[in-house]
Amino acid sequence: MEWVIANMAPLMFGALILFLLFGYPVAFALAANGIAFGLLGIQLGLLQPAIFQALPERIFGIMANDTLLAIPFFTFMGLVLERSGMAEDLLDTIGQLFGPMRGGLAYAVIFVGALLAATTGVVAASVISMGLISLPIMMRYGYDKRLASGVIAASGTLAQIIPPSLVLIIMADQLGRSVGDMYEGAFVPGLVLTGLYFGYVAILSIIKPKSCPALPLEARSLRGGKLMLRVVTTLVPPLVLIFLVLGTIFLGIATPTEGGAMGAAGALILAVVRQRLSWKLLKQAMETTGKLSSFVVFILVGSTVFGLVFRAVNGDLWVEHLLTSLPGGKLGFLIVVNLLVFFLAFFLDFFELSFIIVPLLGPVADKLGIDLIWFGVLLGVNMQTSFMHPPFGFALFYLRSVAPASIKTTDIYWGAIPFVCIQIIMVALIIIFPNLVSYGDEAQREATRLEQEGGGALPVDLDTLMKGDGDAKPGEAPKSDDADNDLLKRFQQDNK
Amino acid sequence: MTLLLKLSQLIDALNERVGRAAFWLVLAMTIICAGNAVVRFAFNYSSNGLLEIQWYLFAAVFLLCAAYTLQKNEHVRIDVVAGRFSPKGQAVIDIIGTLFFLLPMVVLVLSLSLPLVKESFHIGEMSANAGGLIRWPVKALLPIGFTLLALQGVSELIKRIAFLAGRIGDPNAKDKGPSAEEELAAAIAASKAKEDK
Repeated sequence: MEWVIANMAPLMFGALILFLLFGYPVAFALAANGIAFGLLGIQLGLLQPAIFQALPERIFGIMANDTLLAIPFFTFMGLVLERSGMAEDLLDTIGQLFGPMRGGLAYAVIFVGALLAATTGVVAASVISMGLISLPIMMRYGYDKRLASGVIAASGTLAQIIPPSLVLIIMADQLGRSVGDMYEGAFVPGLVLTGLYFGYVAILSIIKPKSCPALPLEARSLRGGKLMLRVVTTLVPPLVLIFLVLGTIFLGIATPTEGGAMGAAGALILAVVRQRLSWKLLKQAMETTGKLSSFVVFILVGSTVFGLVFRAVNGDLWVEHLLTSLPGGKLGFLIVVNLLVFFLAFFLDFFELSFIIVPLLGPVADKLGIDLIWFGVLLGVNMQTSFMHPPFGFALFYLRSVAPASIKTTDIYWGAIPFVCIQIIMVALIIIFPNLVSYGDEAQREATRLEQEGGGALPVDLDTLMKGDGDAKPGEAPKSDDADNDLLKRFQQDNK
Repeated sequence: MTLLLKLSQLIDALNERVGRAAFWLVLAMTIICAGNAVVRFAFNYSSNGLLEIQWYLFAAVFLLCAAYTLQKNEHVRIDVVAGRFSPKGQAVIDIIGTLFFLLPMVVLVLSLSLPLVKESFHIGEMSANAGGLIRWPVKALLPIGFTLLALQGVSELIKRIAFLAGRIGDPNAKDKGPSAEEELAAAIAASKAKEDK
């Protein structure tokens, strides 16, 4: 018994792994683990019998959480866009544009993947659209099977890291940072990553030109002015949406939640204009959004139950002790954490990772003086691999479902591996060049630092905030929606 | 058993109705929030009531859809191990999971949240924000959602037991219809074929 009491936290964590592997929905397994160990703790006299009393208030807190509100909006937006055929139009046109180049179809896939990623937050079936449209063309003109499938799967996962991504919302929520900053921080790494994908294809087109030939002339139905017109007209809708969502968030005009809602409304309007909106499409999109919101929030509810008890048995201290006693200080911590996440990503998807692992790692990173936005983006890039890991990666799974039989499953697996390696390189780049992740300005970062050290009042002054609306450049705009909220609350109190 | 299966069908029908109705709130939420944002930019006006209704609706969506999501077997699982079991093995997992994972959580949350909701109702608790909304309806969503979830748990339990007894087919089997992704794939293929003609 003594031994059990002394080792509650490791036991609880070990049991959690067993509970999760049992195969019952994660949300309830997490909660059950918390409840079981809570009861055990009460039995052993380790915990107060009233420990669970805090639970309803925590769940009410989740219900009233403005940050999470952005999740259904970005999901809904992504689904409406995807079902209204934006991806198809883009692929057709951009494929024609880049086609004549060696590796052109692969560039088109990456380019379209990044564009779609910047309009939606879900690694959705953009993989499916690309698999259906680009894969057959690539096969017909002699692309290497592995390259073709790898590039499609990887480009689809860009939605994971390029804002407005869902994982960044959850990360911001779990790390207690603003979503706007998280988006801003992830923007450059997302672009760099896209650049690395381009670079990989470029290198292949030089050293293995046969793997990605240019399209022959007869394969191009559009040329010259006509093609240019098509390019412009198909690029307008996604670019408008990107401005509507990311532009307004980065300029500090809209909060991420507002940006998401406007994006979703914009996607609906676009679908109506293009006469692609049917009741069926709308219902499907709403249903998928509803179910996704439900299971995501329920994982959070489950992990709240788990966290409540885990903290009560000093699990947080155990994790902290474990991770701060690593050799190599900060760097040692980062390497171990990234290896851990990379390994876990084989089995868990990013929802589970960000709700279970991130709350444990966040406080330790904070103690080590690591900037949490930077840390969140780093983990985001790492978790992106969870979609590409053979054999459970979702992107591979989606691609398999639409790829022709001539492409073997092993081709898809092998194709993903170079991109998983690129992902690792990107993680290393972010660690070596931390400035890749930039957000807000110096003063604001300083303020966050002071605030988290429990320093004085938040140095938010009205003038800077107001100025941020109009003329500030992106990247300099001094805004954070937390500050906005604080301000709002203050006004409200004044009015009372 | 027949009676129990009837009960299970009844619960399924109820939660399907509730879930499908709640999906519309996604649209309502989108319109209200986008409207709020536009009005705020254009007229610099915002109302706490309209801001709060956003998260009221979101809470309604995820709580009321939870049971339906369970019914459709779409709560995320880690099936690295369990995926290798036979349908019967998976039914056993689900029975154990429902009894020892799902139901205890639901009972705990229900028993702790009901008194709070009652209190909120009796004192007529209002939002702390000026012009905010009354609180008990949104708080009541918590026990309502969890009650529906408990019912769905019972229904799933009945279906799994009936399956093990050989009374019905595998409840975990994929829905007969194509998935949304498959439908999308078919739609794209069809429109491609039309263009090629």
